This record gives sequence, C-alpha cells and structure tokens, in this order.
Amino acid sequence: MWNRLYKLLFILLILSGCSILKPVDSQESLDYPHPDSEIAALLETYRPGVDAVMDKPIAVVKDTLRFSKPEGALGNMAADALRFRAALELRKFVHLGIIGEDSFKTYFIPGVLTLGDVYEFMPYDNHLVVLELKGDKVIELMNQVAAVGGAPVSGARFRIDADNRARGLLVNAEVVDLNKQYLVATSNWVANVGDQFPALLNPDNRIDVDLSVQDLYVDFFQGRSELYNERDGRIR
Amino acid sequence: MTISRKEFLRRTSLLAAGSILPFRVASASSIISRADNITILYTNDTHSRLDPFPTNAKEFAGLGGIARRASLIKKIRADQKNVLLLDAGDVFHGTSWFEVYGGSVDFKLMTEMNYDAMAIGNHEFDRGPDGFAEVADQAGFPFLAANYIVRNTPMAPFIQRQIVKEFDGFRIGIFGLGIEFEGVIDRSLTGSVRAADPIRNAIQITRFLKESMRCDYIICLSHLGYHYLDSRVDDYEIAHSVDDIDLIIGGHTHTFLDAPTVIQKESGKSVYITQMGHGGVRLGRIDLNNLGVTSDYDLQARYYTIGEEE
Repeated sequence: MWNRLYKLLFILLILSGCSILKPVDSQESLDYPHPDSEIAALLETYRPGVDAVMDKPIAVVKDTLRFSKPEGALGNMAADALRFRAALELRKFVHLGIIGEDSFKTYFIPGVLTLGDVYEFMPYDNHLVVLELKGDKVIELMNQVAAVGGAPVSGARFRIDADNRARGLLVNAEVVDLNKQYLVATSNWVANVGDQFPALLNPDNRIDVDLSVQDLYVDFFQGRSELYNERDGRIR
Repeated sequence: MTISRKEFLRRTSLLAAGSILPFRVASASSIISRADNITILYTNDTHSRLDPFPTNAKEFAGLGGIARRASLIKKIRADQKNVLLLDAGDVFHGTSWFEVYGGSVDFKLMTEMNYDAMAIGNHEFDRGPDGFAEVADQAGFPFLAANYIVRNTPMAPFIQRQIVKEFDGFRIGIFGLGIEFEGVIDRSLTGSVRAADPIRNAIQITRFLKESMRCDYIICLSHLGYHYLDSRVDDYEIAHSVDDIDLIIGGHTHTFLDAPTVIQKESGKSVYITQMGHGGVRLGRIDLNNLGVTSDYDLQARYYTIGEEE
C-alpha cells in the first residue's frame, strides 16, 4: 500500500513539477496573433450600436449560395434583382440585368441573413443604372460574358461553346433582333468602367436611377424571405 | 529607371542574415541610446475593417482585424525603441462600422494604438468636410494633405501639410498628398476644400523639410494611387518628379506590393514606393538600420499578413 502511495506521490510531484517548469504565462498567451485585449475590449463597447442596426433579419438562407461558373444561384439572384427593380422604377419592361461578380465580397451560408450581411455582400455605394443597347451590342455583351466563363446575368439564356462564345442566345425567350433597342439594368460602377464587359460602354442611352444598389438588394432578399440554391440553366 | 524586385532584394541582401533579427532582439540592453534603427509600420485603405474579414468572404476570409493589428504593433514596439506608425488614407467606408459610427471608432482605436499620422483619402470625404471634422475630433494624430487647401473649411483644424518626428537627432519629415477630386469624389462632398497640384506642392514641401527643417529622411504619405497607364498623377510620377523623397507609402489603388518598388533617380538616389493592399489584411514594415554608423543606412522591408502565423 505504501508502495502505491509513494508511486502516487511521485506522479503528483512529476505533474506539479511539470507545471513549475513550464508555467502557463497568461500574458504571453495573449500575444500576437491573439487580438490585443485592450483594443478588442474597446471595440466591443461600440459593437451594440452596430448590432442594433445591422442584426435586423432580412431573409433566411437555406443552402450555401455561391457565385459559380457558368452560373450560380447567387449570381442569378444578383442580376435578377437589378432587372426586376429597374422595371419597377422605370415602369417598363427591362430586358436584361448584368453585374460583375467582383462587385460582391461574400457568399451566403445557411442561417439568418442580416442587414449587415447584405452590406458585407455588396459594400459599395453604387446606384442603379439602366442602359439602352442595340441588339448587336447585346450579342457582343453576351459573348463577353461567355468569354469569362459566365457571369451574373438575367433575362438571357445561352450555352458557352468550345470557342467561348454565346451559342443559342435567347433574350426573354426570343432570338435577338439586331435592330431592336434593349434595356439593360446594372450598377453605375459596371456602367462606368465596363467591369469585364466593354460592350456596356457608350450605350445609346443611360438612365441613372436614384436608388442605392445596397438598398435594392436588401429589398430583393427581404421579398424572397427564403433563399435556396436554385439554378435554371440560363448559362450552360 | 525602375529596379527589379530581384535587384531590390539583392541590394537589401546585406542584411539578409539578420532579417529576422528585430524579432529576436528583446533585451533592454540591446536598445541603444541614439537612433541607430527606426522602424516604420504602415497601413492604407483599411476601409473600416475593424473586425477580421468574415468567414464567408470570397477573399481574405478570417484575416485582418484591428485588435490583432494592435497586438502585432505592440509586439514590435516591445522590441524596437523607435517606431513610426502611419496610414495612407481611406480609413472611411466599407463596413457597417462606418455606416453606424462614421469613422469615429476607427479614429479612437488608431489613437489608442498611437498612430503618428494619416493621409487624407478620397473616402474621408464620404460624409463631407463636416462629417469628417465631426469624427476627426476623436483622433489624437494629425491628418496630412499638403495639396489640399482647407482654409475656412471645417477640415482646417485637423489638416497639416507636414510633421517632423525626431528620434535622438535623426529627423524624419512626413507629408501627405491627396488625390484630385474630379472624377473621384462627388463635388457635393468636397465643400469648399480644393485640391491643388500634388507635384508642385510636393516639390515645395520637400524643399522646406530638407532645407528649413533639416530632415534626414522624407516620407510621402500618398493617396494618389500606385501606377496608372494614363496621365493621372501617381506614386511613380511623384518619385520621378520630386527630389528628396526617400519613401512613398501609398494607397487608393489597393495594390498589394510584396516588396517596395525602387525608383533609381539620375542623382543616384533610390526612392522606395510601397503599398499594403486594403482592409488591414497586411501591416507593412520598413526598418532603417545603421543610421548612427554611416550616412548610407540599410533598409529592410517586409510585411505581415494579419492573422497568419509568421
């Protein structure tokens, strides 16, 4: 029995000895890459102000939603939102919606989508723009979309052929009329710099709508309430 | 003539063996009394990214965050006696923090971290001169813009053309340059502030810093942009057109430069241009070494990705 007690004592000594030899320095454990505790604590004092505004639930994300190529559920929604809202604002049919994937900074993960999440998704202070393009420019535009392997578009269907061009292009389920004028909804950023789509530069007409693209997305997702990973094969 | 990155690395390779030295030196005895070494830490275009990038970010997921940046800066300050901490502008805009607090939290935290100065970026006008003044009041550091005319505007009390920081006799002059307004900032947001020619103002101010203020080293905090293909004034042009600048810490174009670009001037002088992307993903570091031994000091450059293990 004594033998056992000595063994136990020995083990305890070893264990306590270990802790003496290697003291846990709480100060050291907070060193970089841990956050600075004072700055972190100060930041937390302001967080309730942000949360009070930005935690507002907008929708529920049911699946992981990404910008995939040639099409993705999130890209489709992003372009649909522009086209549908532009039609509402202009009170006329808008044929197409398009936006560069680079305008968006996050993808959606399942759970509650908050106002803050939508602002992270689209952090730029952009506004809605509607461009008027002739049919030949629309074909050029969709070829540019095909050339980058697909991008968020709304109102068009086509497949990308082996030469990275748009084949079997239909706009609103019709073949493109080269001489017809088409309305294309986008953001001022994409309209100004092209954002991979130079066919958008020098349109026949441009309407700047006084509506923030961030607010447009908040309204769109709020209207959907539940967001699913749905694709319709608009770009194949 | 631009020196290639390889050439730059070769030039700085003299200290290659000691490149991690500053991170090892911790004992008080290693800190010498005269300014032999100066460490310049810098950020640009942090864009209110006070928290790390969210886990569902398409880029930089989980990286950055001002509290981790503060922790790294504190660690470096513990090792280095002479530290300058600078920002090249666009602290405003980009996250919910700015939407709610308009930049005041950023400025308060930057003050706690002992930032020495900051340039004025185009986004600092996002809430107009009044909106800037309202939160600039929270900043315990000066805003530098040598080419912005702010007289009789709400920005006037906060903007300086230049500052001089002295480290045991070694004098560093720091001035700021802001971008032109046309095509960048909505006219309704600039109020009565005017943007003057950055090159002309940089020439004037460097002469003043060199001759009147007897500066040994001159830093330009620029929010002009790294390098444009068209005729817009950029950091390249400032480096070529202005004598006596030693280092340009740039911003605006969100350029991630792994190593500074070195512009070799006809006079034989080298001008270094650096920029650390955006969102506080990186903290830049430039060490000026052997300042007390020889007039031909050594320069070492590196960066830290905030949130990644070294």
